[in-house]
This record gives sequence, structure tokens and C-alpha cells, in this order.
Amino acid sequence: MEPNKITFAQQYDLYGCYQCGKCTGGCPVAMKSRLNIRRLMIEGVLGRVLDRVGEREEIWDCTTCKTCTLRCPRGLKPMDLVIGLRGVLVEEGRIPKTLIEAMENAYKHRNPWGKSKSKRTEWLRELPEGLRVKDFSRGERAEYLYFVGCTASSDPRIQEVARSMVFLLDRAGVDFGILGIEEQCCGNEIRRMGEAGLFEELRDGNLEVFEAYGVKRLFTTCPHGLNTFRNEYPQGRFEVFHSSEILLRAFREGKIRFDRELRKVVTYHDPCFLGKQNGLFDPPRELIASIPGIQFREMDRSRERSLCCEGGGGKMWVESSSDVGQRLAELRVQDAVALGAEVLVTACPLCVLTLEDAVKTSGYEDRVRVMDLVELLAEVVG
Amino acid sequence: MNIIVCIKRVPDTADADLAIDRSGRDIEKTGLAFDLNEWDSYAIEEAILLKERFGGTVTVLSMGGEDTNESLRKCLAMGADEAIRLTDPAFSGSDGFATAKVLAQAIRRLPYDLILTGTQAEDDGFGEVGVMVARLLGLSHVAIVTRVEMEDGKIRAHRELEGGLEEVVEVKLPALLTIQTGINEPRYVSIMGIRKVAKKEIKVWGLSDLGLKEEEVGLKGSDIGLERLFLPLVGEGAQILEGKPEEVAAKVFEILKDKGGLV
Repeated sequence: MEPNKITFAQQYDLYGCYQCGKCTGGCPVAMKSRLNIRRLMIEGVLGRVLDRVGEREEIWDCTTCKTCTLRCPRGLKPMDLVIGLRGVLVEEGRIPKTLIEAMENAYKHRNPWGKSKSKRTEWLRELPEGLRVKDFSRGERAEYLYFVGCTASSDPRIQEVARSMVFLLDRAGVDFGILGIEEQCCGNEIRRMGEAGLFEELRDGNLEVFEAYGVKRLFTTCPHGLNTFRNEYPQGRFEVFHSSEILLRAFREGKIRFDRELRKVVTYHDPCFLGKQNGLFDPPRELIASIPGIQFREMDRSRERSLCCEGGGGKMWVESSSDVGQRLAELRVQDAVALGAEVLVTACPLCVLTLEDAVKTSGYEDRVRVMDLVELLAEVVG
Repeated sequence: MNIIVCIKRVPDTADADLAIDRSGRDIEKTGLAFDLNEWDSYAIEEAILLKERFGGTVTVLSMGGEDTNESLRKCLAMGADEAIRLTDPAFSGSDGFATAKVLAQAIRRLPYDLILTGTQAEDDGFGEVGVMVARLLGLSHVAIVTRVEMEDGKIRAHRELEGGLEEVVEVKLPALLTIQTGINEPRYVSIMGIRKVAKKEIKVWGLSDLGLKEEEVGLKGSDIGLERLFLPLVGEGAQILEGKPEEVAAKVFEILKDKGGLV
């Protein structure tokens, strides 16, 4: 055994693994990809996991949903092992081209989608009349920072989510501002692609901007941003909330009402980074339940057992040939349709994109509509 | 085998809203992201692949200001051994020919068997510097190379021709190849990889180091004078569709159907 391999096993605390298999048992992609997290763990213990690591395409199939880590009875972190293996490939420079593009975009444009910095606020163009958004980068200050995120800034579909959010915030009288063209990638996905150095650079860049504008409270509509700000940025410098928490508080304080009747069957898909990774299961459900006329139905695989949509962990930018099965988002949409749901609500931009794609590829466009929670709320606000 | 690669740092303009600056002869570059010219990233990768197979050294050369160090460091992180930046106030305004003179003069001071350049640069797109350097050094060259094979001091280079044709030529070393995109898959350079070469020396050579005269380079040494740069005027016949993507798609479909584009 070479010394560096021992270090690798120690670094990821692999010696505690007793091969119970709960990790693979809970892994949403294990049934359709060569990815076998239990095997990676034992090969790590045996010092073999780095052998021909470049040929292990399945390493890119992990969605970093974190189910394996959350289920591990020994408190080990199998997901971190996958990220560590990706890191080895990243440092060797031998990674799929689409991931190279995403990382280079995150470096050059501070946005993995590749939209140039000057177009960061493009989504503001089509705001409802009379609605103005404060911008920290233009000298304005507010109680909260709304960290819009790369996907809501870049993707035309998700720009609608950001517009719905600022519409609701305005109605609720929340004092908020955005970072404008100074907002940059949060780094959550970059870190999970294995680019630890770039993550550090993005994190430090964001911290510098937060500091310069005295940001003490921020919220996101994107659970991926929420996750990294909450758990991977230095603790105690600022408070981090999800849009559902901000809106729930405003609702409980009577500052906003969602009282336009909606006679629809609705179900809710828990995003992995919001639910199982950050424990926010109830705020979205409480908000949905407040809408009059709604018939809410729960899917079988919900809350901690929610099925991953495969949008996380850099999977928006990569697909390996080892993954041959049906997309999980399609299974998810089938679950929703089987319940008779007319609206499939979620609270994550990446979930919206994968689920909406799945609705189209499954031919369910006339049966079910995918909406972000804030879009649904914007339709029923009183 | 000693390989020299000439590179250029260029603005990324693919998704940018371009504007002309006050001089009227350049684009407004503030706010633009810069990167290693795409063709050059394939040239440096090819050089490193050859080094990995046959041994030797890779030296990377670039004419440019201090900002260019970023691209040179990227090449060092990819696996180049040495980087030299050619810079002098007298170089500014150089056209392709003057640039080729500067590069050729630097190359004369270095040991080499093979010189690689990108086929063209993303910004000016002349595609002339590589072949001019070859001419100035009296070397054989092959342009638009899509595959390189090496044997007994000779290179078999595949060239991309018009109409999907491919030409295979054999050249003796030393020689110069201009590299086409797609010849390989340039490796990713991580931030940690760049940090590792952050302290590596980048040599700087100026006019006097190269033994050049002021009138040979820059505007004075150039044959091409740029008069005016302008954005294409909006002409007749173009229709800009607006709306949500699905609405635009529906309109495109209708137009194609009306004009007989769908058979």
C-alpha cells in the first residue's frame, strides 16, 4: 500500500465502515448506474479505490443527494468520498468536457451557466410595473439580501421564479435588496463537482462582498445556495434563510395572505438540499395548506424519503454512459400523475428544470404542471 | 524534443454585448472576461501530450501585458516547463506581421524542434501569425492540423481542407504546425493547479532583449493599419422575434410553415 492511499482512507474516515449496505440501499441512482457506494467504501479501505479512478465514469452519476451519509449508522460520509474521488480527477484535469465548461464558466463569468456578469440582472427587465428592487452594488441598503443565484439569473424559465419572489416580497413589505452585477456563483455545485479550490475562491469572493455591504441576513429561492451558505461558509457571520421560511414568517405575521381560491389537486416534491439536507420539510407544506380550495396529496416517497430529481451534484452539466436507466425525475412525475395531481410543486430551481423536462419527455404536459412554490403563491396572493 | 507554443490571451465575446470604444478602433473591454485563446488551448495540450510520449520540454511564449501572465500560468499548470512573456511599449499596435517578427526573434534565442500555434485567434481571426513565424524562421509549416503522428524525426500531420477533405503531409523537424480545435481534449486546470505554479518565474523579454528596433515592431513595423471598427448595421429583411422561448418557437414555426420551409 502506498502511503498516500492510506491517507485517502483516513481522510475520508473509511475504516469505520462495516459494510452494512445501507448507503447503497438508499442510493437513488444505484438501481440504474454502476455507481455502488458501498463498493467504493470497501475499495477505499483496501487502498484500491484510486486504481484506474479515471475509468470509473459512474463517479459522475452521484447527485450528492446525501441519502447515503444521512443513513449511515456509523456516522460516516460516503458522499464526501465520491466528492473526494471527483477531486482527484479534477486535479488530474481528466473530467468530462461539459464539466470543464461549467467550471471554467464559474471561474470566468462567476456563473456555471456561462452568462456574462453584465447580464446578471437581465431577469429584472420584465418586472411588474411599479416594482423596484434595491441593489446593494448601487449603494442601496436593506435588511435582507435576496441572493438570486445563477440559475434564476440565467435560465428564462427560472427567471420567472425570481420575478414571482420579488413580487411576493414587495406585497409582504419585506425590506430586501440584491447584489446586482456583483452577485457571483455560491459554489455549492462547484464543490460537489470536486473543484475544491474554485469553491474556496467563490466563497471568499462572496464573503468579501457580503462584508463590504454589511449583509447580516440573506435568503435564497435555491436550496443549493441555502445549503452552502448555511453549512459551508464561516458560521455566525450572517443568517441564512430559504424563501419558504421568509414567506411563512410574513404569512404568520399577517403581512401577506394567500386567499384566492385554487381548486386543484396539488402535491409537493421535497428538494434534497432543502428537505433531507437542511430539515426544511414543513414551511412549504404549511404555505400550500393555507391556500383555500386546494386538495393536497402527499406522495409516498416524501420528506426524508423523497426521491432525488437528479439535478444536484453537478448533474445539470454531466451525464455518464454508465447511467442507463430511466430518469428519476420521470419516475417522480409518474408518482405525481398517479396521485391525480394537477400541480407538482417544488421549491428548487434545479428540481423545477428536471421535473418540467420529465413532464415533457413523458408526454404529461396536459395532465400536470410543475411550479416553484413561490410561483404558486404569486398566483393566489390576496 | 523541445517544443515551443505561442499563445494569446483574448476576451471572451461569445455571450457579451459588444460596444466600440472611444478610439473607434477597438471594442470596449471593461467587464469582459478573458481567457486563453481556444485554438491555443488545443496547441498547448498537443505539446504536452507529445512531451508525455517522447520527453523533452515545452516552452510557452506570448506577447502581451501583465494580464497575459494569467494565461501563461494556466499553460504552466497544464504541464508546460517554462513561460516567457514578450512585452514592450513599442510592441503596442502590432499587426500579425509585427507580432510574428517579435515571436520569431524570441524563438531564435531558444532551442526547439517543433513550434505549435493555434490556427487562429478568437479576437482578430486573421490566422496568419503562425505561418508568418514559420516563414521568418525559414521553417516548413503545416496549417490547420487535426492530427499529429511522429516517427524518426519526421511528423505526419493531417490537415483539414475545405469540403470535408483531409490532407496528410510529412515534414521534417524542425517545423511549425498551426493547430485546429478538436485535435485533442484540453485538460482542465484546477485552481489548486494554478496555485501550485503561482510562484514559478515567468521571464519577461522586451525590445532590447530581443535585439529588435522600434521601427520593426508596433504600428511602425506593421503593414496593416486599422481605420475603423463598427458593429454590423441592422439591415432590411431581418425580423427580431420577442417573447417567451415557447412563444418565439411557435412564431418561428409559423414563419417557416408560411414561407415553405417545412416540407
